[in-house]
Amino acid sequence: MKLANLIIAGLVTGSIYAVFAVCVAVWYRVSNILNLAVGDFAMFGALAVDDLVRVRNWPLPAAIAATLALVGLFAYGYDRIVLRLAQDGRRRQEGIVITFFFTFALSFFIDGIAKILYGTNVHAAPALWGGNSLSIVSGLSIERAGVLVLGCAVISGLMFALYIRYTLSGKAMAASGENYLGARIVGINTRQYRRIIFVVTALLAAVFGIVESPITGYTYLSGATISVTGFLAAAYGGFQRPGRALAAGLAIGILEALLGGYVSAQYGDTLMYAILAALVLARPRAMGFESAVGG
Amino acid sequence: MTALAVTGMSVSYGNVLAVHDASFTVAEGECVAVTGPNGNGKSSILLGIAGLARRRGTVEIFGATAPPGDVMWTARHGLTLVPERRQLYPKLSAADNIILGCYSWTRSARKARLSDAFGYALEVFGELHPHLGQAAGTLSGGQQQMVAIARGLASAPRILAVDEPCLGLAEAVSKRVYQALTRIHAEGTTLLLVEEAPRRALQIAARRVEVRNGVVA
Repeated sequence: MKLANLIIAGLVTGSIYAVFAVCVAVWYRVSNILNLAVGDFAMFGALAVDDLVRVRNWPLPAAIAATLALVGLFAYGYDRIVLRLAQDGRRRQEGIVITFFFTFALSFFIDGIAKILYGTNVHAAPALWGGNSLSIVSGLSIERAGVLVLGCAVISGLMFALYIRYTLSGKAMAASGENYLGARIVGINTRQYRRIIFVVTALLAAVFGIVESPITGYTYLSGATISVTGFLAAAYGGFQRPGRALAAGLAIGILEALLGGYVSAQYGDTLMYAILAALVLARPRAMGFESAVGG
Repeated sequence: MTALAVTGMSVSYGNVLAVHDASFTVAEGECVAVTGPNGNGKSSILLGIAGLARRRGTVEIFGATAPPGDVMWTARHGLTLVPERRQLYPKLSAADNIILGCYSWTRSARKARLSDAFGYALEVFGELHPHLGQAAGTLSGGQQQMVAIARGLASAPRILAVDEPCLGLAEAVSKRVYQALTRIHAEGTTLLLVEEAPRRALQIAARRVEVRNGVVA
């Protein structure tokens, strides 16, 4: 029973990694930019909804709709203004500058805005599906928010994986990232794909932040931490494949829970990172790292 | 009917003028070779026509004036470029590379798969069949060139502009590529062929446009 409970807890934590890994992987695939700000969109979603509902007394659906609209508009504007100048302009940025810096800066920017607007306290959006934990069999239970979080992760990961595999538009999205010139020749609007996926993943992250924050609670600094864990899982999917990023995220969550439960609650995390690092060193190709390092 | 009319086109990269005041026409069903030594502006002419390089002057495709810098417009109006160095998507399979040619006229994977254009592309390069599932980046140079031309065919082009199709290929493979191009032209596609070796190009082309120092002779 302990094992089953640990696995469930691991799946819920893993879902957090998985969703962000999927967001990072999909957008990297289309734009060759790593989105270091993806966790900040989640943080902002949670904090904004919490503020609107608890402080300003908005009804929950209106608060969620307004927050998502704001996040969507902001992401759209950021792409239109900053990323367009950086990637499409006359002085195109390349290499590590474009890969990291613009979204890194964005991450700090969103953190700063959130700190000014919502302060430094821990916030959590109201639970979307209130009530006690669901009991599966006696002694084995899962939080309602956990079910939503897991659902969110699995649906988004599968959706993107199927999109790339089976639709022409999904393949066109992948082609945009692989060969900008080759994609434009057949009429693919690479800029539009970059923009759409950036906005969609920002919205997805925000939705996820709203759903997940009742479990862990967010401060204005939570975004960066989540981005990094998602990043790690995305790396295990070679930064390319949303399906593998999803699986890697869930697996890392379970590993973390098992190590915490059976080995050491205190050193579980440390041990997990050691195992992950050893795996990467031992089997870089099998882990999908070749595309992350070899291009 | 005139398939392609280029009038007073100049192509520049920053301050460097690669093509100066080029004018020529290609009739429907014709095959025209653009020849000249390397570095004289042959590829720049194609890039300018396709809208991938900054150009001045006018380019008309089947009577419609192409907006400069809009490669998507060109692709949708029937002129497809098979670019130098192929510009494939290395991690996608050969089949996916080819089917993406259909993107210029449809968004439906099903329509694309069942289309005449896609079927024709696979038929012309029948030898690609065993390799369709393979990542394009792992194919041989000759196979990659065939995938690039097949991708062009999948876009159902009325004019196919092919840039140096035999660059870096062995003689036997070059022959095979030319055999395919001959067939494509014989079956009705207008060809604009950039080729450093005029002898090879003139096997198909009835006429050539000679480029020297960025000027059409």
